[in-house]
Amino acid sequence: MSDEEHHFESKADAGASKTYPQQAGTIRKNGYIVIKNRPCKVVEVSTSKTGKHGHAKCHFVGIDIFNGKKLEDIVPSSHNCDVPHVNRTDYQLIDISEDGFVSLLTENGNTKDDLRLPTDDTLLTQIKDGFTEGKDLVVTVMSAMGEEQICALKDIGPKN
Amino acid sequence: MHQGYPPDLSQLQAVMNAIEIACSSIQIHVNPAAAEATILSLCQSPRPYQACQFILENSLVANARFQAAAAIRDAAIREWVFLTDDEKKSLISFCLCFVMQHANSPEGYVQVKVSSVAAQLIKRGWLDFSAVEKEGFLSQVKQAVIGSHGLDVQFRGINVLESLVSEFSPSTSSAMGLPREFHEQCRASLEKDYLKTFYCWAQDAALSVTNKIMESNSAVPEVNVCSAAMRLMLQILNWDFQHNKNAKGGKNGIDVYSAEVRYEGARRSDCVLVQPGPSWRDVLIISGHIGWLLSLYGALRKKFSCEGYWLDCPIAVSAQKLIVQFCSLTGTIFPSDNGQMQDQHLLQLLSGIIQWVSPPDAIAKAIECGKSESEMLDGCRALLAIATITTPLVFDRLLKSISPFGTLSLLSALTCEVVKVYMANFTEEETWSWVARDILLDTWTALLMQADNTGQNSHLPPEGVNAAANLFALIVESELKVASASAFTDESESEFLQASITGMDERLSSYGLIARAAIDVTIPLLTRLFSERFARLHEGRGTKDPTETLEELYSLLLLTGHILADEGEGEMPLVPNAIQTHFVDSMEIDKHPIIVLSSSIIRFAEQSLDPEMRASVFSPRLMEAVIWFIARWSCTYLMPPEETTSSSDHRPHLQPQYSRKAWLTFFGEDNQGKLVLDIIVRISKATLVSYPGEKDLQALTCYQLLHGLVRRKSICVHLVSLGSWHDLANAFANERTLFSLNAAHQRSVAQTLTLSASGMRNSEASNQYVRDLMGYMTAYLLEMSGKSDIKNVAQQPDVILSVSCLLERLRGAASASEPRTQKAIYEMGSSVMNPILILLEVYKHESAVVYLLLKFVVDWVDGQIIYLEAQETAVVVNFCMRLLQLYSSQNIGKISLSLSSSLLSEAETEKYKDLRALLQLLSNLCSKDLVDFSSDSSEAQGTNISQVVFLGLHIVTPLISLDLLKYPKLCHDYFSLLSHMLEVYPEMVAQLNAEAFGHVLGTLDFGLHNQDTEVVDMCLRALKALASYHYKETGAGKVGLGSQATIYTEPDGKLQDGILSRFLRLLLQLLLFEDVSTDLISASADALLPLILCEQGLYQSLGKELIERQANPTFRSSWCEFQGSKTHGKSENKVSNSTSGRHMKCNDGGGDV
Repeated sequence: MSDEEHHFESKADAGASKTYPQQAGTIRKNGYIVIKNRPCKVVEVSTSKTGKHGHAKCHFVGIDIFNGKKLEDIVPSSHNCDVPHVNRTDYQLIDISEDGFVSLLTENGNTKDDLRLPTDDTLLTQIKDGFTEGKDLVVTVMSAMGEEQICALKDIGPKN
Repeated sequence: MHQGYPPDLSQLQAVMNAIEIACSSIQIHVNPAAAEATILSLCQSPRPYQACQFILENSLVANARFQAAAAIRDAAIREWVFLTDDEKKSLISFCLCFVMQHANSPEGYVQVKVSSVAAQLIKRGWLDFSAVEKEGFLSQVKQAVIGSHGLDVQFRGINVLESLVSEFSPSTSSAMGLPREFHEQCRASLEKDYLKTFYCWAQDAALSVTNKIMESNSAVPEVNVCSAAMRLMLQILNWDFQHNKNAKGGKNGIDVYSAEVRYEGARRSDCVLVQPGPSWRDVLIISGHIGWLLSLYGALRKKFSCEGYWLDCPIAVSAQKLIVQFCSLTGTIFPSDNGQMQDQHLLQLLSGIIQWVSPPDAIAKAIECGKSESEMLDGCRALLAIATITTPLVFDRLLKSISPFGTLSLLSALTCEVVKVYMANFTEEETWSWVARDILLDTWTALLMQADNTGQNSHLPPEGVNAAANLFALIVESELKVASASAFTDESESEFLQASITGMDERLSSYGLIARAAIDVTIPLLTRLFSERFARLHEGRGTKDPTETLEELYSLLLLTGHILADEGEGEMPLVPNAIQTHFVDSMEIDKHPIIVLSSSIIRFAEQSLDPEMRASVFSPRLMEAVIWFIARWSCTYLMPPEETTSSSDHRPHLQPQYSRKAWLTFFGEDNQGKLVLDIIVRISKATLVSYPGEKDLQALTCYQLLHGLVRRKSICVHLVSLGSWHDLANAFANERTLFSLNAAHQRSVAQTLTLSASGMRNSEASNQYVRDLMGYMTAYLLEMSGKSDIKNVAQQPDVILSVSCLLERLRGAASASEPRTQKAIYEMGSSVMNPILILLEVYKHESAVVYLLLKFVVDWVDGQIIYLEAQETAVVVNFCMRLLQLYSSQNIGKISLSLSSSLLSEAETEKYKDLRALLQLLSNLCSKDLVDFSSDSSEAQGTNISQVVFLGLHIVTPLISLDLLKYPKLCHDYFSLLSHMLEVYPEMVAQLNAEAFGHVLGTLDFGLHNQDTEVVDMCLRALKALASYHYKETGAGKVGLGSQATIYTEPDGKLQDGILSRFLRLLLQLLLFEDVSTDLISASADALLPLILCEQGLYQSLGKELIERQANPTFRSSWCEFQGSKTHGKSENKVSNSTSGRHMKCNDGGGDV
């Protein structure tokens, strides 16, 4: 794979909008939202009013999709919130390198080698275990607001 | 360590010491676990009676005595069947004697415990003891109760009776591991033979000490006896008398009738009717018992200033409660003399009680100054009790004979006073005025409910109507005051109108009843109050803060809604009787008070269409009340169905009936109805479009108002012809404005609009209407799924939003499937089948969308499957299988990785919801085999539903891990589907491959150990079906379930358990050694029989093993018998005969192993 091609890909990525505005009232549990500039998954929405005869406001509890931290926000329900563009791509796992990077096979036959393994031990072993057992693994890489991370792992049968 | 017999003194001493040490170490928290174990071992040791008796008699540690008594109880109940008659009797006598001998012991709780043990043992043997034996125990008690052995013993004797009555009353009895019938028989026996006797003893005991109490000026020991005796009387009067429940003849029919009817009305009250029957007349009524009670309490009242007496002292409280209880006395205890004796009885009580509540203002003042409110509240409860058993007329008349005013006036004055106090110090806390208000409102409800049901307000005397009018005026004043005072409080919860309505519902419906009782006055009052506030809003616009007025209007709207119309609860509520039968004088229809009030509210609501007004006046909260009111009102008044009005159309003009009913057509189809409907639709659209993000308001509009409208076909006919409805449909189908609605509301709007298609002329037009409505959405999904760059586009948030909205709408339309529009909805679904599969692939990581896709298919199949012709069925089934396979291939072996445990558990929950949807889909497919409206049978065309569902299960089950089955709903769904399949199509199981077979049976095993008895029951049914199938098949010389079913030898010669033998073992294990709920005995027996028949050899050997291991000879012999009878009784045709199963159940259950 050439460097140029790699650049081209990331450029295309940058061209897409990172977030979209959406009315707070329409954001549901299990949807996404940007809180304090972090992409979050909404785990709780509740509504309340500003005074008895005031307007509704939404109270969101979100979990940062990358670092798992809990964040909260209150927004009048007719106002707009930012919703992150969360992309997920499947790659076949080719290799795990010693220095903490993975090597992934893209759809068009290239490899993607710039993704770090998670530092958390449990996650690390979950990935490494399957790989050392010789299973064929597909990893799902989640990207949003310029960050990316492996978010799921699927066993597609033993390696031939 | 506690080997009971033969004991010597040192052993007993040792046991006592051990227990004493254990008891004291528990008290000081030193090694409590070990101490509890010591005490438990005493309870569980065989025959610990001697040791326990020794402790009771000799220990100085009260707790040790307490534990010893408990141990006697536990051991005796456990070993009851093995005790000799003499042992039983001596245990009971010991307990009784112990109580009496140590009557003056300062540790009363030990005596109470021993009394209770005595009572439980007496009950345990009750059905076996002869009358003489029972007499023996009870005469001892009687001697104590009537006071032959002094006050302390008398008090303890009453205690024993209390324990007895409480043990024999099913609601308070202790568990004994016996069937319900036992408790029932004991209850009936005591009621028939002893209850009245006990009451008389209590009466005698109380009488014997009354003089002493009345004469003394300070507390005397007799007080204890008297108050215990009254407690016992109260307890007996609380007994759920059964004897005359079945034989409710025509005698005194009126009382019984009114009592039953009224009881439903007084929902909040805990007022229980006391109906002991005619045999109690002499004791309770004729003997002057009430007179004694009232004079005793009267004397006590005078003593409250004395030392040792106060308003809430135990004896006073007992007397109060007893007096209140007597107010509920009714039924055949009174002779059929037109209620004379009952009236007399109530009057006597009331003349005593009136001092508790009258004069209301003085009483209220005294309480505010610190007097205890208990007497006043009991007075209110007494009024409630009397109201429950009398008619308004009788109720009112009672007091008239002894005072210048009637009871209704007293009730009204009292309620007004309480409301005033409540208004004066309005807080959120429950104050006495709050409690009193609730009781008094219940009293009004009890009185007015019947009048309201029958529409005969003439029942209420004119003064009563005035009293109701005055009270209502005060209530409105207080509600308005509370409203304006709380307008600015920023409550965190209870803001949602629905919640606040249900919270206040009972209160509001009481208010409604009171208002309806004086409807001529109250409706004009409300009209005036509304117009004052409307005017105030207009005057102050832009200059004054309207919040207080808004809150007042909010509360007026709720109140008016409750007065004008009843809650329909799915039915079409009629115009309340009080309203139908009144206003005879009002001849001009447009001046009819109800019309005036309704019109003024609707005109006000219409102003919300003006954006400026909306911004300045119609706050979301006020709008919620407006929508709620319109929804409730329109169910009753808007275009009422013909039959309520047509009957009057043909009548001559002058008949009063006519003028009464004519106004009802004012909002009918031919009059103002269409106009009002148009206004309502426009207001609805405004709430959906112009109140962005106000979910609560929109929920009310969708679920209450619009759903209510389209439920009625007569309204649909007009809806579809309205321009405003067309606008709404158009905005929904072609614009993005409604995308801002919450997902569930989009679904609801789609459903509503689809349902309104039933108003079209014919089926053709209805189908076209649905096609036009949904066409744009299916086209969008088709176009979208055909895009080449769909993979990139699809994940953009705005696209996800659109797709979700459209799917929700499709789902809404699918759930509105009706025969008339079925065709269009089928087309809608079938046109998006391909896009759905594509979207499922594209959105495989977007769980929220996946769930929507699945749910749409579930709802669509649910609505369609029974109508589908063979060809269509094949298409749908094929589609469903592709969907299942695709879902499975995406998810099997997938692990979510995340740092956040809550995200992981969310992922788990999402998986669970998906799977539940898939199971629902399979169940829906299953129903095709049960209900089928298609013209040809689907089997003819080769779609075998059972095969399809098994295939589906085969695809889905690997996804259902045992962890996921811990979700109760999923577990329930899975097992109900599985047991249905195994019961109906056991032959399919035999065709499963080994892996699938293993999985199905593995989950069955899991299910049998589930905590939920319903799940276990379903597994047992499945098991029964499998075993019966196998037994029948093999009997007919076929393979049945094949080699996997029974014991077989593996190639290496090892004997391998087949599944049937495995389950036989498991089931016996469950039944014999584990705690199986009695609800499951029958189902277990049903499953056990075929299993035994399949595996006789194994069963025999298991039985033998069990017998050999059993140490107790009694058990062993009964086991041999049991086994013999069971194997003996088997026969082929009993497999499907469930009665034989029931027979075995008795053996199993009774074994007590």
